[in-house]
Amino acid sequence: MPDYELKLVKTLEYKRPAVDKGYVDQTLYVNVSDQTMAIKPVDPKTKEVFIGGKGYDLWLLWNAVEPTTQWNDPQNTICIASGPMGGTPIYPGSGKSIVSTLSPLTGAAIDSNVGGYFGPYLKFSGFDAMEIQGKASEDTVIFIDGIEQQVQIFSAAGLPENAYDLSTRLTEHFAAGKPRSISVVSAGPGAKNTLIGCLNFTWYDVKRKRARYKQAGRGGVGSVFANKGIRALVVRWDSVTADTNMPADKAALKEVAKAYSREIVELDPKQNEMARIGTTHLVTIMNDHDLLPTHNFRYGSHPQAPNLGQSVYRLLFDPGFDGCWMGCTVACSHGIKDFVPFTGPFKGRKVFVDGPEYETIAGCGSNLGIFDPHTVVELNFYCDAYGLDTISVGTSIAFAMECFEMGLINETHTGGMDLCFGNRLSALELVHQMAAGEGFGHIIGQGVRKMKEIFATDFAAEPAVMADIGMEAKGLEFSEYMTKESLAQQGGYGLALKGPQHDEAWLIFLDMVHNFMPTFEQKAEALHWFPMFRTWFSLCGLCKLPWNDIVPEDNKDSQEPAKVMKHVQWYTDYFSAMTGRAAAPGDLIKMSEAVYNFQRIFNLKMGFGRRQHDSLPYRAVGPVTELEYESRAERYDAQLQDQCNVDVTGKTTAEKLSLLREFRQAQYEKLKDAVYQRRGWTDDGIPTVAKVKSLGIDFPEVLELLEAHGVRQ
Amino acid sequence: MIKVSGQPVAWHDGMTISDLLGELDDPHPYAVVRINENYISRPNFDKTTIPDDAEVFLIPMIAGG
Repeated sequence: MPDYELKLVKTLEYKRPAVDKGYVDQTLYVNVSDQTMAIKPVDPKTKEVFIGGKGYDLWLLWNAVEPTTQWNDPQNTICIASGPMGGTPIYPGSGKSIVSTLSPLTGAAIDSNVGGYFGPYLKFSGFDAMEIQGKASEDTVIFIDGIEQQVQIFSAAGLPENAYDLSTRLTEHFAAGKPRSISVVSAGPGAKNTLIGCLNFTWYDVKRKRARYKQAGRGGVGSVFANKGIRALVVRWDSVTADTNMPADKAALKEVAKAYSREIVELDPKQNEMARIGTTHLVTIMNDHDLLPTHNFRYGSHPQAPNLGQSVYRLLFDPGFDGCWMGCTVACSHGIKDFVPFTGPFKGRKVFVDGPEYETIAGCGSNLGIFDPHTVVELNFYCDAYGLDTISVGTSIAFAMECFEMGLINETHTGGMDLCFGNRLSALELVHQMAAGEGFGHIIGQGVRKMKEIFATDFAAEPAVMADIGMEAKGLEFSEYMTKESLAQQGGYGLALKGPQHDEAWLIFLDMVHNFMPTFEQKAEALHWFPMFRTWFSLCGLCKLPWNDIVPEDNKDSQEPAKVMKHVQWYTDYFSAMTGRAAAPGDLIKMSEAVYNFQRIFNLKMGFGRRQHDSLPYRAVGPVTELEYESRAERYDAQLQDQCNVDVTGKTTAEKLSLLREFRQAQYEKLKDAVYQRRGWTDDGIPTVAKVKSLGIDFPEVLELLEAHGVRQ
Repeated sequence: MIKVSGQPVAWHDGMTISDLLGELDDPHPYAVVRINENYISRPNFDKTTIPDDAEVFLIPMIAGG
């Protein structure tokens, strides 16, 4: 007998439509307050403009919420969609789901791109997207059974709190002997008790015979999920082949997919070895280029960083196929088997850890001054099991540690905990406290922006210092790259619509290492093209990694190697072969531009989306403290002399720090001007009427909103 | 003898990555080179020597994120 109970509350029977060219043209609506369920058709205009994935999510969310809606209102909606190419097993990286909701951290729409089988199975079950609204009065599980053509709502009791055991239990429960047919979405106690919760999306590892998971990490999507009283979503689908998505031109699809898969198999072992070591190769590379955040983004390198590098994880990762979607030859979702935590509820129990990836290593390792790979793995494990975003956890703890070392907070505030950098036991204890909603961990779980308010109000900490060192923008914690020496990446983070996450633009190497974009115009062009192209992956249900982490051998000889145009052409061919919609590479950018501008306007609707909201903490722009300046004095002195015509002779560090700050902040404002102009926005960062008309997003409510903000024809 | 992206290249004692890149007819501004299983970044090209019989891979632009 199971030690839990799932009680059926309501069933919706439906007739599954046939997939046609990557779409089923309907979405599923579930309200967990009153168990209402409905199926909504997707109209042709929505399909044409929003494409799918994140585009569908944003349109559904826009129509569901008001400008006054808060993240924890029943009206807030969680939207999950794949996209027209999502679920293609022969083209690498084609199994993504995109989650959107109003974020508890930013108050605006957040989007998170995640692997696992859920989004594709949801589509094959009959829904291009699902939206969940309301708040359940008791723990709820929603089961979408694409085989039996039923959606069922269950009330749940006795299920494991943690996502690790919950995923396994629900996979077994609903699998009917075929665990690969199941994907589970769940959060965990950390998501329930913090604002930085993630969602775990499972895929079934046939070889290792276990449900494994990937995380929709950013922006607190798991906290919204838990706040709605949802314990899990489960979807069941049958086998998947190249025909399941019913491509418009199967022969063309097979041709381009074969070329792409073959190239990855041939070149990945010669390049970044994603299939063997994932993204861990980035640790030492970032460290060598002074780009690996250490000690709350103070510095970009540390002598002990190689302890966290690929050479260690190469030994720890369990070899084998690690694709988070079927047939993906990048297969970078590595994990560690038989890991034994030394703290917390799993202490002494062998577990399988999914990860770590670069972001987790940098966030929960170097940025905390922790250079012990086992501690990073344990933090990784518990963050996932508790439903916590490793990036926000790392950046938030790092901020608290620096405040502690600066004396802004002390042991009376931390419950007696020593929060000096490098204290791995304290870091682990904080994560356990976040899950329990107790102690100082509960405060850290509110994220950096709220911590700054609490520290100032309750602990009399100096707000100006915290404004400089608290690594959040728009309310979202920074992901794990140093931006001080790359103006373009300052824009990449500061101008990102959802906050400083690198999936929109990652220009550090092109800008800082290769100096490919020395002028403001070139930076602005890059901050147009790259965010648009990267956005496109999330419209289509795709992973970005195959595009530029494995590149053709002759790519370096092409005109614009950073864009990997051969792959852009392949993606264009793939899109046309799947949807039957003729496209050229420039059309992909146009598709994204419509959704991107719509999201910017969505920010405006929620009270954000203007120039003032694109600001950065100064730590992201330059050295905050004299110690930081002096650690790289040669670099900063040279910039003052060469670019500001300042004679540094005889100047104190404090004077130089102030001059540099003035210069760098002015540079960032100039960059904003250049980017807004390139994107067709006003000086205040709002899309113009002409822009929205050219993109086909001139809906009456959009024009009304622009008008209300003084943007007229 | 070493192999560079699968092609044999003459090796000499004390050969650094910078030496190798200087000897190759390839103007691409490599930022990372892999020697067997070790990733070496440009700041270390001058001081990193390549052992005989090594497999060397010239890593394309790091696009990251």
